[in-house]
This record gives sequence, structure tokens and C-alpha cells, in this order.
Amino acid sequence: MKELIKKIRNSISLSQEAEECLYTISREKVISKGEILICEGQTVKKTFFVTDGCLRSFCTDNNGKEHTLQFAIKDWWISDFIAIYNNELATLTVESITDCKVIEFNAKELDEIYTLYPEFESFQRNNLERHVVSLHKRILNQLQLTAPERYDLFLKQYPEIEQYTPNYHIASYLGITQQSLSRIRVERAKK
Amino acid sequence: MKVLQISKFGEITDSLFINEVNKPTIQSTDILVEVKAASINPIDKSTVLGNMQNILPISLPHTIAYDVSGIVVEKGEEVTNFEIGDLIYSRVPQEQMGTIAEFVAITNSAVSKKPGNISFEEASGIPLAGLTAMQSLEYAGIKENDKILIHAGSGGVGSFAIQYAKAKGAYVYTTTSTSNVDWVKELGADRVIDYKTEDYKSIVKDADIVFDTLGKNYTLEAFEVIKKRGKVVSVVGPIDEEIAKMIGMADYKLPEDLAKLIEDKEATYKFIFMHPNGEHLNTIKTLIEDDKIKPIIDTVYPFEKSIEAFTHLESGRAKGKIVIKIN
Repeated sequence: MKELIKKIRNSISLSQEAEECLYTISREKVISKGEILICEGQTVKKTFFVTDGCLRSFCTDNNGKEHTLQFAIKDWWISDFIAIYNNELATLTVESITDCKVIEFNAKELDEIYTLYPEFESFQRNNLERHVVSLHKRILNQLQLTAPERYDLFLKQYPEIEQYTPNYHIASYLGITQQSLSRIRVERAKK
Repeated sequence: MKVLQISKFGEITDSLFINEVNKPTIQSTDILVEVKAASINPIDKSTVLGNMQNILPISLPHTIAYDVSGIVVEKGEEVTNFEIGDLIYSRVPQEQMGTIAEFVAITNSAVSKKPGNISFEEASGIPLAGLTAMQSLEYAGIKENDKILIHAGSGGVGSFAIQYAKAKGAYVYTTTSTSNVDWVKELGADRVIDYKTEDYKSIVKDADIVFDTLGKNYTLEAFEVIKKRGKVVSVVGPIDEEIAKMIGMADYKLPEDLAKLIEDKEATYKFIFMHPNGEHLNTIKTLIEDDKIKPIIDTVYPFEKSIEAFTHLESGRAKGKIVIKIN
């Protein structure tokens, strides 16, 4: 929790009262590898701030294959935001791919805190801006870059993730087959 | 619900028919699965022909097949390892046979979550062949640098066994016919022997393990190519005395010629009876997700054409698994 408070203090001036309020609505959790935090088809109430480890969100198509939307490492938020903002059932599953530490928030309570303490607004706006930038980049990269270029970018963005993530998560994030990913890696190793 | 059933024992086209039956009910340790895909195996053909009646008798009519993938839609009160909505795959136990159906009840210990990187169709082709290969090679204690001969590398069991043995770091010899040499090589086998043009017995020497998927003379010849104290595991050869005792044949003795070969080589011979096992399927799931094992599908048939799928199986020409898409 201290990490998050520090992060918030870096962007806004946080009153003692607001800080205490944050503590009351949050819960630090240790998550084992492979735990499901949000399950497709269920109501979503929680949002998670990652302090250690790595999680991913993914959807499953009609054929039973998984497609990874997002990896979340330290300092990132993860949830099914479509479900939260549109008040729909989850279309995504969120699972931990390593042992993790997260701070769990009830999304509604977190939303209320922004009203109670307006100073949070700019913090929240920064988060959303960062999220939008990241999503736009991801879409554009998917549209205009080749698979090897996307892989290189991925390594820059998540330098450590390769060591603890099964290949198929990375392949499904990049939108390529595992065989293509293997070929790209072999090519990179030759360089 | 719609199912594919055996009405009488005999020829495929005379014996199989599409029927309408009640949805199965579940016991406290079962899950109910909405079937997405089922795959068929040589044992299903033997069941239709009535050849399994001595060992695994069934009453007719009976829904057919053992391999399945699908979605959990109900669970018994004692089931804690699965949730509604989980995507699973399984080789169902004998008493729950009947996966070419819209729904099937399965005891939870025979089920695993399906690998996330492959489709329902691909996943349904894995369980029976995968468990047979894995349990056989694990019984033989396969390890890094072992030399293993796997017969019939293009078959459902053989093609899985090659990949499993390679994942374990073994050196793999396999036999196949000319037209299959290339794709069997792609599975990772170190030395693919074209049995139409080469004699495997002059190529394989001092193998640690022979995995016999052919039976008859091949079971006996295995002892020519294994090293002293080597291991022969078979899924089609004569049953061994331990298995015989298990199925109530206390006086059973191994055929004399086989017993002598075992003694001469101080070898181990084991007949493997595949058993359904969700934990083993979970290990296979990880190997598939790590790209160590790829599912190999020959053809996917829609449910309405499942009888055609069986005639394809009967032809013996499939390269990989024959799958029936249910839903």
C-alpha cells in the first residue's frame, strides 16, 4: 500500500484524511500463481493495483482459444473495465501468471473517493490517460507493425515478462501463433 | 439431447445411429459438461464390432466414445476443483462412456481444464492417446538421453509419444510409411525409419525402451533391439501377469516365447492399461501450453456426419485424430 500512496503523492498532494480513507477501502492481497481474480460471465466489483508479480486479462473465443488483452506488472491497474464502466457481466478473465501482490479495491468505493476528495481526480485522469495511450499504441502497433517488430516492442515494454510467462500467453498477446513466435525468437538469437 | 449410439454389434454403418435421449444426471462427485467436441479412437471401432464385450461389456443401445472437450454447466456438491463455465477436456471413465452427445456427466477426477492455446476440436483429440502414451513412457521411466523406439509414429498414440519423449530429452527412433516420413520428422523424431524401404532392426540397437503400439511379431522383435535390462512397454501385446491377476485371471502365464525373451535379456515387459486421470491431463495441458506437444487433427466432422467419421477411422488412413464437432 505504501507504494501506491507514494505513487499518488508523486502526482498530487494527498491529505491525511484522504490517505486514511484509501486504507479503509483497500485490501492488500497475496495471490498464488494461477489464481483467477475475475471470471468471465460474472459480475465485476473489484479492481486491482499490482505491487509485485504479473497478471493478465484475456477473453476466450467460441472455439475455446484464449486471447490475451493485457499484462499487468508492478504499478499497473487491472480489471475488466468494460464490465465496470458499462455495468455488464465480465467478458474477460483476470488471472495471475506468477505469485503476486495486489491491492484490491471495490470499484464503486474507489469511484466514490474521487467525488469525496477532488484531488484524486487528477490522479485518476493521469491513470486513464496512461491507459488510453497504452491501448492506442497497442491497436496501432497491431495494425502497422510486423510480428517481429511487435515482439521487439513487447520485450522493451515488459523486459522481464518473458522469463515467467508461457509462450502462448505472449503469442496470444501479439496475435501470432506459437510457431511464429518460436521462429521470431530463433531469428533474434541469430542476430 | 442428441447422441450417437450403438444399436447392435457389427459393421459400422449397420450398427451406429443418431438417437434422442434424456440429459444425464450427475452424482455428487460429477460435473455435467456441455460437449463442444469429441474424438474417436480405434477402441471405439472395436466396441462397435463387439470385440470389447469380453473385457468391457456394455448393454445396448449405448452412446459411444471416450474423448471430450466442453464447458462445465453443472457440478455435484462435492466438486471443489471446477466451477461452472470452466473449459475442460477428459477421457471419461468406462462407466460414463458416451461423449458423442450434447451433454456428458464425468467424475471430476478424470477431468482437467483444457489447454488455453488450442481449440475445443484440438483438445478433444488429446486425452485417450495422450494418456496412453504418457502413462506408458512414464511406466518405462523415460529420462534424458534414453534411446527409445516408438512404433507407428504417425498414429494417434505414436505421434503423441514422439513429442512426449522429445520433451523428456530422449533420442527417438520411430517407424512409419514413406508418405508419412516428412510430417513425422517435424514432430521431432531423431531418426524416422521408413519401414517400406528400411529394416528397423538393423538400425535400432541397444534401445533403453521400446514402445510397442503394433503387437504380434513386433512385441517379440522388440527384445532384439533393446539393450540388456531394457524395457518393453506395450499397449497391444499380450497382457502381463500382474494385469491378469488384476482382472481375475490368476492362472495366467505369459506366452512361452515372450517369457524366454524377457529372461534372456533380463528385460522388463509391461502391458499398459490406460486409466483416466485428470492430473495427468493437467501435466499434458502444461506441455501443450509450453508448445512442447502439438495436437494433430486429420478431419473434423459435424455431428450429423459422425457415422462417416467412423468409416474414416475404419479405413486406417487418418494422419492424426478424427474429431466430431458437437456444438
